[in-house]
Amino acid sequence: MADRSKAQHGTSGPASAPAPSAAEALLQRWLARNESIDAVWAGMVPGPSADAVASRIGAVPKTFLDDRVRVVALAGDVLESDRGRGQESTDVVTVLDEVAATGSSAARRGAAIALWLWAGDEELGPLAPPLAREHAARALAAMAFRLASVVDPAEWVSDAERRDEAARTFLFWSGQLPAGEDRETASSLLTMRDSLQRNGALAAAAEEHAHRLEVTRKLQEARAREAAARYTHE
Amino acid sequence: MSDVAQASQGPDDPLAIAEYTPGGQTALDDSERWPSLTPPGARRLEALRTHPFAPPWVHATGDRLSADAARRVRTPLPLDGWLDRHLDVARRLPAYRRRAGELVALEDFPLIGRDDLVDDVSAFVPLDADLEQAVHGSSSGSTGRALLIPDDIEDTARTFHLLVTLAAEQGVEWTPDPERMALAHVVHQRQAFTYASVISSFEQATMARLNLIDAQWPDRLTRARFLEAQNPQAISGSPTSLAELLDPSLVAVLHPLVIFSGAMGLSGALRADLVASYGCPVIDVYGLHETRPIASSADGGPFVILDRRVHVEIVDDRGRPVSQGERGEIVVTAGENPLLPLVRYRTRDFGMLVEVDGRLAIAELEGREATTFLANDGSRVACVDLTQQLQAAGAHGWSVKQDATGGVEAVIARGDAGRVSAALEALLGRPVTVERRERVADLGEGKPRRYVSLA
Repeated sequence: MADRSKAQHGTSGPASAPAPSAAEALLQRWLARNESIDAVWAGMVPGPSADAVASRIGAVPKTFLDDRVRVVALAGDVLESDRGRGQESTDVVTVLDEVAATGSSAARRGAAIALWLWAGDEELGPLAPPLAREHAARALAAMAFRLASVVDPAEWVSDAERRDEAARTFLFWSGQLPAGEDRETASSLLTMRDSLQRNGALAAAAEEHAHRLEVTRKLQEARAREAAARYTHE
Repeated sequence: MSDVAQASQGPDDPLAIAEYTPGGQTALDDSERWPSLTPPGARRLEALRTHPFAPPWVHATGDRLSADAARRVRTPLPLDGWLDRHLDVARRLPAYRRRAGELVALEDFPLIGRDDLVDDVSAFVPLDADLEQAVHGSSSGSTGRALLIPDDIEDTARTFHLLVTLAAEQGVEWTPDPERMALAHVVHQRQAFTYASVISSFEQATMARLNLIDAQWPDRLTRARFLEAQNPQAISGSPTSLAELLDPSLVAVLHPLVIFSGAMGLSGALRADLVASYGCPVIDVYGLHETRPIASSADGGPFVILDRRVHVEIVDDRGRPVSQGERGEIVVTAGENPLLPLVRYRTRDFGMLVEVDGRLAIAELEGREATTFLANDGSRVACVDLTQQLQAAGAHGWSVKQDATGGVEAVIARGDAGRVSAALEALLGRPVTVERRERVADLGEGKPRRYVSLA
């Protein structure tokens, strides 16, 4: 199963449809990554509890949320120990450059909170088990583009349910199963919290992206490629 | 693979295109191709496949109809209120649903075109479409990038019964005859998918897609003997392939009840020659792969709009509908393929709406080119052969012109100019000048003539 994105429109007709909102533009950046939920589940490893992560979100320092602080510089400090880890570091920088390019405060603060979760290991001591960093770019993109498109990061801090959603989103896209939960529980709690599915316009965009992938996949299947006998030359 | 023999292309053929490798696109077994195949149907199919004079089959494909589906496709889809229901479906398409409230009547829908489908065909596929019914429909088009669309199994099969109906309107009683092939769908091009099949909804009579080009056969006598043995009741093809039916070796042995022309404009001269040679109706069917059949002409006059889920408008160069009798671009709303319900699709073909015996028809239809190029050895090469090579080389659009002395100049938008040059020179046996441009728009406004040959 793919996570989902907005369908592109053609030129002569649907191009005159309303321009996507800022929120939809952010979501589209996430969906363009074509992240696979199945692939995340396949590589899932044990993580800390959702409560522990949520609690850390609630403790985010004000400096991280300051729009004047550049996230790329912040990441340099936070993920310094990851330097030399090759592709993942490069991917992190790519995502953060993209965050900066959006000019979106929500995306910036979303990324900053994700960076804080890792930085908290230094400041507050590691969680048990520690937060994974193998999929840092994916987790950053999920927070900055997916979740921040539909819930302002200020609510991640101020509202308990949204904090839980942010914690679960971060853990999931980091590839970590919340401690004390099995796959079924974690999946159902994440779905229950998922603000994207409750936002009509953004959910529609996500649905259309899934549809596009499905149509493409179906048509490329060997069974479909054999086609069917035709009777005229059109 | 037992049912797909080796074609004549050699491994070093500079013009070979990978997808035409024999058997390269097959994935099913016969029980999946014809789920309701009976022992007599299977015997007829096997006899066709293994006929001693049969050509090499490049492909294998069936109609995939269950017994229930085979029953359904014999009957046309009901027409009562179809357009209203069609627009309801369209308003829920990803392409339109954000502004469905503005799309009250047909004329509120924007015009769409081939590029819209090329860019994202899924935006025009209903979110609740049954994709299990979808097969890969590829439209090479003669004017640009290839288009991949979802064909619906039942819609595709229903087209055969449309042909039966069109024949009946001309007084032809076309019923299944186990002794005869029901339909020979002929092409005449260097590379093509060819296959043997049975029509589940027509008492499992046989049909085949055949390439009449000489290279596919040991000699013309073998070709004639094979076709004589199949004795097809109907023959369909493009003008390029139908022109091959005028070969005396075929005229002597074929006795079609009806001939169908499609894809390109059928000239009056070719129509007259076919009628004179075979003494049967020749029906020109106008349609696009995207829209399916739209209109037909049995007498060379205006194309009568078919009694099916199709609505035709003519628009001016600013996209505004014009009155009956005024010329403009043909725009089609098409509701036969449930996987691709199109609204106001620009065909890039031109004509005018008129009335013929109380039915709407398209007069002065233009835009379907039937161009052939003169090769250095004196043979004529169909433009579809050029299209395949131009698309394989990644060209998004093109214009190929041959002057009266045989010289060929091609202008392509994007793509690999070196590969185009090499392929066209190999096809035509003469030098070809290729100029590459960045954008399709650089080829000119509107629908330029992509192929012209004065030789």
